[in-house]
Amino acid sequence: MKRIGVYVCHCGGNISEVVDVKEVASFAEKLPDVVMVKDYTTMCSEVGQKMVADDIKEHKLDRVVIAACSPQFQGVTFMRTVENADLSPYVLEMANIREQCAWPHYDFPKDATKKAKDLTNMAVAKARLDESLKKIMMPIGKRVLIIGGGIAGIQASLDLGDAGFEVYLVEKEPSIGGKMKQLSRTFPTEDCASCILSPKMADVPMNPNIHLYTYTEIKNIEGFLGNYEVTIEKKPTYVDPAKCTCCDKCVDVCPVVVPNEHDQGLTSRRAIYLPNSIAVPHSYVLDDEACLGLFPLACSKCRDVCEPGAIDYDLYPEEKKFTVDTIIVSTGYEIFDATQKAVYGFGKYENVITALDLERMIVYAAEGNPLKNLGERIAFIQCVGSRDEQVGNEYCSRICCMYATKLASLLKHPHPERDIYVFYTDLRAYGKGFEEYYKRAQNSGIKFIRGRVAEVFEDSRTKKLTLKVEDTLTRQIIESEFDTVVLSVGLRPNGGTEKIADMLKLAKSPDGFLQEAHPKFRPVDTLKDGIFLAGAVQGPKDIPDTVAQASAASARATRLMNQGEYALDPVMAFVHEDRCDPAKCGSACIEGCPLGAISVNGVAKLNEAVCKGCGSCIASCPADALDLHVYTNAQLLSEVESVMQDKKKDETRFLIFADDTTAYRLSDNVGTAKMSYSVNSRIVRVPSCGRITPKLMLQSFKAGADGILFGESEEKSSPFPHVISTINSNIAKVKETLKQKKVEEERIRFVQFVTVMLVGFVNNVNDLADFIKKAGPIPDKERKALI
Amino acid sequence: MSINRVPLDIHKIKVPRGEVHIVKDRCKGCGFCIEYCPNDVLALSEEYNTKGYHPPEVVKPEHCLNCGLCELICPDFAIWSTLKEETEPIIGD
Repeated sequence: MKRIGVYVCHCGGNISEVVDVKEVASFAEKLPDVVMVKDYTTMCSEVGQKMVADDIKEHKLDRVVIAACSPQFQGVTFMRTVENADLSPYVLEMANIREQCAWPHYDFPKDATKKAKDLTNMAVAKARLDESLKKIMMPIGKRVLIIGGGIAGIQASLDLGDAGFEVYLVEKEPSIGGKMKQLSRTFPTEDCASCILSPKMADVPMNPNIHLYTYTEIKNIEGFLGNYEVTIEKKPTYVDPAKCTCCDKCVDVCPVVVPNEHDQGLTSRRAIYLPNSIAVPHSYVLDDEACLGLFPLACSKCRDVCEPGAIDYDLYPEEKKFTVDTIIVSTGYEIFDATQKAVYGFGKYENVITALDLERMIVYAAEGNPLKNLGERIAFIQCVGSRDEQVGNEYCSRICCMYATKLASLLKHPHPERDIYVFYTDLRAYGKGFEEYYKRAQNSGIKFIRGRVAEVFEDSRTKKLTLKVEDTLTRQIIESEFDTVVLSVGLRPNGGTEKIADMLKLAKSPDGFLQEAHPKFRPVDTLKDGIFLAGAVQGPKDIPDTVAQASAASARATRLMNQGEYALDPVMAFVHEDRCDPAKCGSACIEGCPLGAISVNGVAKLNEAVCKGCGSCIASCPADALDLHVYTNAQLLSEVESVMQDKKKDETRFLIFADDTTAYRLSDNVGTAKMSYSVNSRIVRVPSCGRITPKLMLQSFKAGADGILFGESEEKSSPFPHVISTINSNIAKVKETLKQKKVEEERIRFVQFVTVMLVGFVNNVNDLADFIKKAGPIPDKERKALI
Repeated sequence: MSINRVPLDIHKIKVPRGEVHIVKDRCKGCGFCIEYCPNDVLALSEEYNTKGYHPPEVVKPEHCLNCGLCELICPDFAIWSTLKEETEPIIGD
């Protein structure tokens, strides 16, 4: 006999405005094994939590059900409450009557109340069969991999190195420093970018805890939190930094001349070169793709002229393997390719340049060797490649308004006679000191004109440019000639980000940057434990925000690693040994686990270090001997049967099995956005839909479901490999049976979702609801004959 | 990224240029010099030498950088280059 306590939360009106909480409470009182029911306005508050703790002691409760918000929202909070009252955190169940009931069905309070009762019934049914499990403790070391050596990676590695952790900093360019080392000054203080960056760059190799690998790429990463096996490939520079004296003689004799990436191609370099004046490591590099050839050796002039003998051609890429416990991804951004906006003429007209080109030109001009005469009349075009559906980038790149103001100021101050115009859409000066800086720029005579430039024309004789733009505030069309046009290009995710995201299976946001675990509360976490984001890889941002995120990611990583162990969810497969008979079945389960977590030795055995809890193996056992802790076969059947109780004659109800990673989160997002969908839906939370066997699907139909929708993560962002094919084959088997028993196949559907697919979710759910409404509930005779 | 750009300081730099000398009749048509020239200066010619082979011919004389790989790699000492002059680099070919 269980002693279940049920709480129904009003959620400060969020639930009680739609759902009749008193009705749900009195319904719960009648359920078997329920010994106490209360309703309260805010269960998650300190008062609410104390009430739960006191009731557990007073009423000797051994199971707790809270009908309130989503378990993905406050589940952890309540699990901790229950744990502090000396119960296992896994005997707590939540009925999601807010995000998945009151919020999406605010137009149908009666139906929402009925649904809330069903969901509470379902949670009580699961709680009844809950096992008193504990979290599994796993060891974790103090090693971090930081991918990308820009300002974000540098800051994170210094924070973690100083804190005593072992840091591996991997950067694909020959020098760390990223984009910041290319900038002239930073806004709003007009600090010299290299001057403030250089000491930080120099600190990195001096820190004994940081292993710095430059000119190195990540070849492979496998594993999980506490045990990420990393393989890197270090490209040879062919120059020994210990011997090189930086005399520059090799550069003078090298016959190959190529555009210099550090200056965006505006200056040239040789095949052997020093990446930039503040390079760390400060070492020459031989670019073997630009070089005339090393195998066979075509030239060798540089080695001939090198007195210390620092150049050695007989070097090969070196592979290195090491293991780390956590990873920080800080691969940064690339600028928008302005040739995609053909109307602005970048690449065609020599006097149209990008903002990054201008940064480099300003650096040279400040040193006294200007690269080019920019002229007297200069125009800036804002929002190039941002806020632009035509090129596929709807988002705002955040920093362009400020960097254009800065560049305009830097051009105006030494030459006040210059005529500088900034053609903007909105001037976004959101940060600390930004608005004041913008005001000073306006006062210095820079003209800010609100209008999006339509086209840029070139005079083929003078090479001057004519802009055509509407000044939207005076409603006049301006056609004016300029000496130089600067395009304020936006930020895009770069190739390195794509590669790492694919390797680590990290989710991307709709704008293409990597997605954070929660936009408000977990801005530097990813949905993969132990992997964090820092800097522009997560979205366009300026330097102070990047540094803040880098330190934040370091803190999050420290939090996991500092205590030497971390807790694992006990959501794992297990074997009913009394039903397991390998002699009869031929050990089909071994193949059933795509991670190889199952072995057979007399009976089937599970490797808990490898098992991820997806449940794909369960369907492979013909004797029903495999099961999943926290979501057992018996629990799921009980949930399905209880949520289908008290169905009226012509009523249709259908199930949505939603996976924890994506579909459940997505349905919460839909409710939070107050979008409505069919109130006949009943969502059942599962770790992965791979867990639902054909037997369980047929049992669901028999219990009263008129349709089933499976919602699962897309394969490329799924934490469980190969689960999509398991789900498809399970569904195929059931469709066969449905066809034979004359039940419509279209009642069962499978959709792969992403967490931002709000409209997609609503449409798919309503499609199924409409189909079932037309086809009607499954007739009783066919229903009973299914299994 | 900046590969299709001509650097602004290109006019200040000079690189060595070579003149290619071919002794046609020593050539046995192996094609190594054509294959290995880093700047694709050479190509197989249509004409025949006295041995019946197609010797190489210079198709992009302004691209030769006088590296000397053709001289090193020819098994028959049939081709070499000498320093002719120093000119501006050519970007992008």
